[in-house]
Amino acid sequence: MKDPDSEAQLPLPWIAPESGAQIIQLPARPKNLAKQRPSKTATDEASAKPIAKHNKSKSLWYALYLPQFRELDSAQQKKYLDQLAGHMQSVSSTVSFHPQALICEIRSSLKYFAGIDVIHQKLQKLIEEQLQQWGLADNFFYAASPTVSGSLLLARSGNNVLVYRPENLRSALGQLSTDVLDLNKEQRRRLLNMGIRHLRDIWRLPSDGLRKRFGSNFVNQLNKALGKAAEPTQNYIPPPAFVAYYDLPYEIENLDRLLPIADELLAQLCDFLRRRDLSTSSLILSLFHEKRDSTEVNIRLRMASRSQQHLTLLLETHFDKLSIPAPAVAIKIEVKKFDAFFAKNDSLLQDEAPGYTSYSDSNLNQFMEQLQARLGENHVKSVSSATQHCPEHASLQLDYKENPNREGRAAISTEVSANPRPLWLLQEPKQLNINKGRLFYRKPITIVSGPERIETHWWSGVDVCRDYYVAREHSGSRLWIYREKSGKRNWFLHGFFA
Amino acid sequence: MTIIQNHSDTQLPFQNQYQPAQADSLHGAGSSDIDELIQGNPKLWRGCDMAGQDAHGRSTGFTQLDAILPGCGWPEKGLIEVITPHWGMGELQLLIPLMRSVVEQGKWILWISPPYLLYAPALVQAGINTDQVLVVKLDTSCKDALWSMEKALQTENCGLVLAWQNWLPTKVLRRLQLAADTGDTLGVLFKHHDSEHSPSPIRLKIDDSYSENGGFNESEVTVIKARGNFRSLSANINLYQQA
Repeated sequence: MKDPDSEAQLPLPWIAPESGAQIIQLPARPKNLAKQRPSKTATDEASAKPIAKHNKSKSLWYALYLPQFRELDSAQQKKYLDQLAGHMQSVSSTVSFHPQALICEIRSSLKYFAGIDVIHQKLQKLIEEQLQQWGLADNFFYAASPTVSGSLLLARSGNNVLVYRPENLRSALGQLSTDVLDLNKEQRRRLLNMGIRHLRDIWRLPSDGLRKRFGSNFVNQLNKALGKAAEPTQNYIPPPAFVAYYDLPYEIENLDRLLPIADELLAQLCDFLRRRDLSTSSLILSLFHEKRDSTEVNIRLRMASRSQQHLTLLLETHFDKLSIPAPAVAIKIEVKKFDAFFAKNDSLLQDEAPGYTSYSDSNLNQFMEQLQARLGENHVKSVSSATQHCPEHASLQLDYKENPNREGRAAISTEVSANPRPLWLLQEPKQLNINKGRLFYRKPITIVSGPERIETHWWSGVDVCRDYYVAREHSGSRLWIYREKSGKRNWFLHGFFA
Repeated sequence: MTIIQNHSDTQLPFQNQYQPAQADSLHGAGSSDIDELIQGNPKLWRGCDMAGQDAHGRSTGFTQLDAILPGCGWPEKGLIEVITPHWGMGELQLLIPLMRSVVEQGKWILWISPPYLLYAPALVQAGINTDQVLVVKLDTSCKDALWSMEKALQTENCGLVLAWQNWLPTKVLRRLQLAADTGDTLGVLFKHHDSEHSPSPIRLKIDDSYSENGGFNESEVTVIKARGNFRSLSANINLYQQA
């Protein structure tokens, strides 16, 4: 801890830009400097070599610590950190997340931005603005050092310092209070009982004993901070976004003429998707008009795709029924949600089971998308039978859902009555006339078989109590008719066997 | 039980000129060589034959109907017109075996604006998987319905497309026929009136066959036109086998 070198330079408050710049321009000291240092303590036993090694991989980590985030819940915190990471990407390509903190590598950006002060000022402005926008306190702590954990600890301590050389890290960290470490209550109490207030006190302790008393995580944390252990970090990858915009050279009212332009934008989109191995299941096409709100077309796909042909086809279908209030002056395609791309698997063996061809769903999906785009979402129905005695309720017509494995199928069954059922049911039963003692619909009716009594729904107030017969009309039609068991005992036509 | 008869009131012009029965009697025992020559030549087609007597079609499920259809069954693709004086004359029963085979192939059946509610329990009873049945609602405009039909016919996965449209111009029918050809699919049009110059390969008519003396169970199905048949034939079929 009596390293004169470290005493002379640290801690360096980041106040005067000149001083910061000076530090950066310091020539790197010979590597043997670390070796010269007497290795007094046990933690240092194996330290000399790794430090020498780490000297070569020069990196400088800039840590940003936001104590005000501590009060936010984790989801909110993640959302905010995500946005801040986006800002930090303007100075570095490597940004990683830590609790209430963000860390980025800036050594590689120093030359471009001409010094760490420029970087800091740039970030400070962006982050303060963002924090003010969220209505949070706009103060934050920062530090930079050659290790990720080191920077994090320094930032947490609240001293805004810069440690440029790895060999100075030890003494710089040594001055920090043990409060900056990630410790649980028990560990904290134990450290306190041992009379350890600062990290430099820990340096003097044997690592074996520390490991035994505080666990390997504790020792690892310190080793990482000193650059003696590898620090894998998970880098922030910004979510993909696609916006393609085209200003039309002149106003276009005819949608057919717009199609080639939209097609061109779709080509860009498909290229974008292909490069990132993504696909999309929804995109928004906007047509801008002079002095009017833009027209938006939501194109939704049942299965994510990146085939230009497919998207163009859907767009054409949408354009077929679209009418625009005014000529379009610009066109934009925007995609916000992306899906992973799954390639279609083809069978290696063409004729595995002759007679039965397993038709890929992709064709059908494409067709269904077109159908729904043209007719409207709720115009295409799927049918299924339900476990109900009441004939009106035994057949369900459901919307053909986006999800192929339709949910809510509990009530749906494949078991049906053994008695004959007609293929067609009338929306409302139609009362039959009796003419000269014979039932009459369009022509006289003769009963073929029956009756089948259906008695149900007595609990709902609308009592269903009917005797069903299969009948034949004198025209060849076969009918499903019933007679009410109560009330006026009228005859009704309920369906056709068709 | 199979009754095949020349339809008495048919107006086909060459019926009088060519009678298969007479033709057969012309070939005596001595003309067996000629017969052999003629039958041995696959490129030769005789008017009295039904084109391609070999069973290349898809069986209708009714032997009587198979017997009067070229290829002994429904064609693999194209349009079928079913003409009935009103809906519910057994026209769907006629197609049940076809629907079943389409579903077994893993293809879908699309019903475009049927006049009544399609009743799922009956489909289940007929052995048709309702998961592969889709219905386009009745209140769809005629233009949209035809558009859907054309698109469905072009889609290979839709094995069978059923539509209820009464008056369709020849141009539209031809377009649908083309769509069915490209998609390898079958389209069925149900209508009340026959249009003589329709390009559909098969036109069927289901007739009122009620008679007081108990001819009760059978409907008369007339093949007005079938590509390959040179005259119209009819058969009496019990369509309601299950009911």
